[in-house]
Amino acid sequence: MDETMKEKIEILADYIMHRCLWQFHSRAWDRERQNAQILGVAKQLLLGEEPDLSTPELKCYWLDGFHLAKGFRQRFDWVNQMSKEELATLMDGLKERVDYLTIHGSLNKELTVAAY
Amino acid sequence: MPYHTFKCSECIPERAMHAVVKGPGEDLTSCLPLGYLNTIPGTISERGCAFCGAKHVIGAPMKDVIHLCHGPVGCTYDTWHTKRYISDNDNNQLKYAWATDVKEKNVVFGAEKLLKKTIIDTFKAQPHLKRMTIYQTCATALIGDDMDAVAREVMEELGDVDIFVCNAPGFGGPSQSGGHHKINIAWVDQKVGTKEPKIESDYVINYVGDYNIQGDAEIMCDYFHRMGIQVLSTFTGNSTFDELATMHRAHLNVLECARSAEYICNELRVRYGIPRLDIDGFGFDLLNESLMKVAMFFGLEEKAQKIIDEENARWRPELDWYARRLKGKRICLWPGGSKLWHWAHVIEEEMGVKVVSVYSKFGHQGDFEKGVARCSEGALAIDDPNELEALEAMEELKPDIILTGMRPGEVAKKIRIPYLNIHAYHNGPYKGYEGWVRLARDLYNAIYSPMYQLAAIDISKDEIPLERGFRSRRMISDVTLSPEEANVEGEHPYTGEYDNVTRLRTKVYPELEAQRAKHQEAAEEVLVPAK
Repeated sequence: MDETMKEKIEILADYIMHRCLWQFHSRAWDRERQNAQILGVAKQLLLGEEPDLSTPELKCYWLDGFHLAKGFRQRFDWVNQMSKEELATLMDGLKERVDYLTIHGSLNKELTVAAY
Repeated sequence: MPYHTFKCSECIPERAMHAVVKGPGEDLTSCLPLGYLNTIPGTISERGCAFCGAKHVIGAPMKDVIHLCHGPVGCTYDTWHTKRYISDNDNNQLKYAWATDVKEKNVVFGAEKLLKKTIIDTFKAQPHLKRMTIYQTCATALIGDDMDAVAREVMEELGDVDIFVCNAPGFGGPSQSGGHHKINIAWVDQKVGTKEPKIESDYVINYVGDYNIQGDAEIMCDYFHRMGIQVLSTFTGNSTFDELATMHRAHLNVLECARSAEYICNELRVRYGIPRLDIDGFGFDLLNESLMKVAMFFGLEEKAQKIIDEENARWRPELDWYARRLKGKRICLWPGGSKLWHWAHVIEEEMGVKVVSVYSKFGHQGDFEKGVARCSEGALAIDDPNELEALEAMEELKPDIILTGMRPGEVAKKIRIPYLNIHAYHNGPYKGYEGWVRLARDLYNAIYSPMYQLAAIDISKDEIPLERGFRSRRMISDVTLSPEEANVEGEHPYTGEYDNVTRLRTKVYPELEAQRAKHQEAAEEVLVPAK
């Protein structure tokens, strides 16, 4: 991954950290699910794909994913200029970065507490 | 690691990892204080206990309930109506407090008989109330009183009453947060699913983690009702016991304070499949998005957009008037829990202030993750500060105002730093569009209060400026603004009413009425099938 892509990922991760709450559920397993679902929906929308809205739970993830993708497009015009391949790389890298910040690199000692 | 050591706490090495400064390039993998740990001996914590967290924060806002503490009378007094969680039934829950008033003889011989007698006496004293919560305290937990058994006995004997047992004694956790957890789980275990609601709309939510401080929850429900959404319950502000027992029938849980109420949302998700949506009810931009998210879940985008457009047009010019005058003011954001993250960024974005410190007495590391992520570089984040640390922080950071609760707030006033009560509020509600302007108004009034100019003069040694008259807020605040900046067309101070909540209680909501009529019609068709 080139430096420009890394910088773009950092900008989007910073946007999520300042604006969103969904990435901060209480436990590591909870965060893995939230990050995968919501960033997954945002990626689908940016790539022009239709997300699955067949259950209330999936619909709820879509709300956050939709507003994330919308925010990216509105605030960072370079997102609109990217090809589908670039967008896929961007969103995969973003997922990895958000997972690192909120799960794998997190200093939060409660993430691995067994009781909820 | 960017840990900050207070000079006053150098003698308490265990405090070393409880404060951090968010420096350039720092993120959550390098900058996070410890949190939600047992209070360190030697540091005088300002925390509450688990009993306080269960009763004072979450249980007591329920409005049609007799709130009975099983313990010494002090526990009752200290959790009685110091937080203004109002209700639309003449504030029953703020007016009355009940206790078994346990004494030494009860500790020796047991207090179950006393509890039973008190329960029956209180129901007799308030015969119009048929719902009760009994709160365990340290003393009665230690002597092993079986409150569940007593409650069952009374319910059988009286027949028409329902009693909820909250077993969260003061020692049940490091802080009040332990009590939040216990009462959440107890409520979903004991009461959710025991009543069935009347469904009146195709769109049904629980609004969770709002305690209706000065009407916050009622403001948010106004937006939901305008979209035609039925709010089954607000957990727990301004809600009834029975409404909260029907939470299992909502389509969506809209969660505001994840610190105090995420547990019940998580349980409702697992047990009943109701999804959890975390929202921000503070700040124009975040509230716009939050309302739209709730609306989109039900396909009500146009209705939400109408509300967003109306509210922004009405209140934005007033917010901007204050933001122009608050620009650059340094604030310490020292709330209980959720405002740590709800406000950390948006208050800077929309009011122009600078958050120089965030703290929480009972927040978990997860709360600090949100707060540290959202605040700007240079902010000092402190977990469970003691009074000396707070004083040292104020002396070092030189804030223009402290946003906190009564206890630290009164300390701040002693060193002539104004404080705004963001637990019980000064002139709230602060939620919603108008509420955000009211917060800006209160910040402005406090920071530019002429009292602080006068109080800064030490009459024992300072010269009294006799050549100058009294200076009003406006004279102080506008001195750095150009005439153009001070008089932007359309911008003006707050013009809302003193009480912006009471009128909502009789307001008619056409969208909700239409939904009610539709559901009523459907119910009648079931009763009388068409020929």
